[in-house]
Amino acid sequence: MTDQTPPDRDLDGTSDGDGRTLEPWEVFRREKDGDPMRHGGSVMAPDALLAVHYARELYGRRQESVALWVVRRADIHDLADPDLLQPPLDRSFKKPGGYVMRDKLAAARQQSGQAKPKARSGQPKRPTGPAGTADR
Amino acid sequence: MTTTRSALSASIDPAAEAVLDELILSMADDEFVIGFSDSEWTGIAPILEEDIAMSSLAQDELGHARALYELLAELRGAGQTADAIAYDREPADYRHARLLDHGRGDWAMTIARRYLYDTADGSRLEGLAKSSFAPLRELVDKIRREERYHVMHATTWLERLARHPGEPRDRLIASLEELAPDAATVFTPLDGEALLVETGLIAESMAALEARWRATITPLFVGLDLPMPPPGDLDGGRTTHGEPFRWLWGEFTSVRRSDPGAIW
Amino acid sequence: MTDPLALDPVLAPQDRARLPFNEADLSHDERFGRFEEHVLAGGKVESTDWMPDEYRQGVLRFVEMHANSELMGVLPEREWIMRAPTLRRKLALTAKVQDEVGHAQLLYRLAEDLGKPREAMFDDLLAGKTKFHNVFHYPTYSWADVGIIAWLVDAAAIVAQQALRDSSYAPYARTMKKICWEESVHIMHGRDVVVTMVTGSAGQRAAIQEALDRWWGPLMQMHGPRSERAKDRDIHWRIKAKTSEELRQEFLTIYVPRIRELGLTIPDADLVLGDATGIWAYGEPDWNELRTVVTNHGPKSEERLAFRRDNRAATQWVRDTILGSPAASPTAAA
Repeated sequence: MTDQTPPDRDLDGTSDGDGRTLEPWEVFRREKDGDPMRHGGSVMAPDALLAVHYARELYGRRQESVALWVVRRADIHDLADPDLLQPPLDRSFKKPGGYVMRDKLAAARQQSGQAKPKARSGQPKRPTGPAGTADR
Repeated sequence: MTTTRSALSASIDPAAEAVLDELILSMADDEFVIGFSDSEWTGIAPILEEDIAMSSLAQDELGHARALYELLAELRGAGQTADAIAYDREPADYRHARLLDHGRGDWAMTIARRYLYDTADGSRLEGLAKSSFAPLRELVDKIRREERYHVMHATTWLERLARHPGEPRDRLIASLEELAPDAATVFTPLDGEALLVETGLIAESMAALEARWRATITPLFVGLDLPMPPPGDLDGGRTTHGEPFRWLWGEFTSVRRSDPGAIW
Repeated sequence: MTDPLALDPVLAPQDRARLPFNEADLSHDERFGRFEEHVLAGGKVESTDWMPDEYRQGVLRFVEMHANSELMGVLPEREWIMRAPTLRRKLALTAKVQDEVGHAQLLYRLAEDLGKPREAMFDDLLAGKTKFHNVFHYPTYSWADVGIIAWLVDAAAIVAQQALRDSSYAPYARTMKKICWEESVHIMHGRDVVVTMVTGSAGQRAAIQEALDRWWGPLMQMHGPRSERAKDRDIHWRIKAKTSEELRQEFLTIYVPRIRELGLTIPDADLVLGDATGIWAYGEPDWNELRTVVTNHGPKSEERLAFRRDNRAATQWVRDTILGSPAASPTAAA
């Protein structure tokens, strides 16, 4: 095999999951409630029913997942084009790192004579109700 | 039989206890033996993914057997462990259904046997779903939930083989015909089973459960044009075991017998 | 920080893209160079990336041997599934062997995605064209073998597999993480069997020592003869990160104390840890034996390959069913 671009997604012509061809099905799993679906791997199967059976075996027989998705690889549309995903023109205004104010803040504090406030953790205090009881 | 009764057996009618013991033993032996046969496919099944699936089914069956032997040990209250009940008997003292005596066979035989057994077991478990004996009722609830996957898998393959003309269908039919005389032995009547029904330990007689089983599987068999197992002679259905089981017994007891009393 | 309003110059794709070697416009040599640069700098490769032949073949060969070993490794153990002496041991061993089959599935899937069909790999394995690890060519004689294999053979394997978790071929690295996690359970099962027998009857203790005596040689040969790091192409391409000797030393460091603490004797009078160096000296493994065995002349090589050939032929009709079913009508609800 000579140096080449990756093998074609469809292993052969008719990949319609009708039981006639063994083809790869990608398996996604959710490890516990609240987790996102993450790619786990793939199984070879002729149709969705067996793909689900096999996915359960490979990625769920140890009670290690709370949910699985199974998708025919041929049905997945992908995007890896750097022109679209890593476009060259500046986009720093879309990220927190694009707003550097250190020098300007230093100048403002000097101007106002105020020190930099101490770092605070978590939520601002909520206003308390009568007799000083905190509102939950 | 022990003269002292365990704490667990206090909740059961003493007259029914011996029959209940026989029932639980027969269920445990069924799961143990089919678990053994199916575990033989581990590493050599036709497709890698299917190898893993069949191994899970076998482990489930063995897990059910273990839980049932443990319940039996507790019920007897004689200090016997589940392992001792499972392993330390002569072949003639095992009470599994003759359906399970046929040896692993080829894939068609395994699927045919799994389908017949899982559906029959399903009927039996349904008959126990409201058992007056709480520990059994609770265990049956757990087992039924695992068995759903078994019936799905067996049905998928039964259909796949039945619908494929030529060798697959022919092998399936040959297996069903070979198993036919023993197919209903899961429902071999137990001596004194009327007591089980009277005390609410089981909902119906074995004969009634068999009828339900036949009603459940008939539509699929008719739809796939497969031969239904005919009603047969269930005499000795749990007590006459043949050569394949004696071979299996020789294998599964070999290490234990090499050093009796040792802890493994 | 640079002026956030400055515009990046418009660069050629191969100079801007994260994986420039995927650019079809580049010459082969340029792509090779960029690929090598990427990998040597710790970059990862996915199944859909362009790869030089040498890399693709190197990964495929490596993964295929690993997959073959998992598949053949099942055979020495599966006969003991039938003979496991307690319900729990039977469940544990069945689950272990099931995992090995699962590993074979994971690894054959990787190799398939590199372009070699599963059936072609089985053909080559059964025809003796591709290899599997030495330890799986030997017989098992007793339940003690089951314990020793599950503990020490799996331990030697996991030492190698952990070192692969950072492989440049990302699908393999990810699979290794899953495999290592599963293997750690096997090692615990194996160690439990061994410790139980060692503290059991005199017969059980003797059986474990006897099994260790037989398996030590193959274990020491398992990671392979010493090789030069600089000449190892698999290390060059970051497919693997450690040499055979590094893996063997790691195995000895962890497991020799654990074996000795059970009162077992390792059958190598020359095995000694250098105090100053922290390096193990040992009796030279029999490399002729290794060569003989992995070329399928081991005690059980031919028997096991023949068994798999027969089994494959006997089950071909089932695979044909999967591949050739007429269109199924929707399944009735169970």
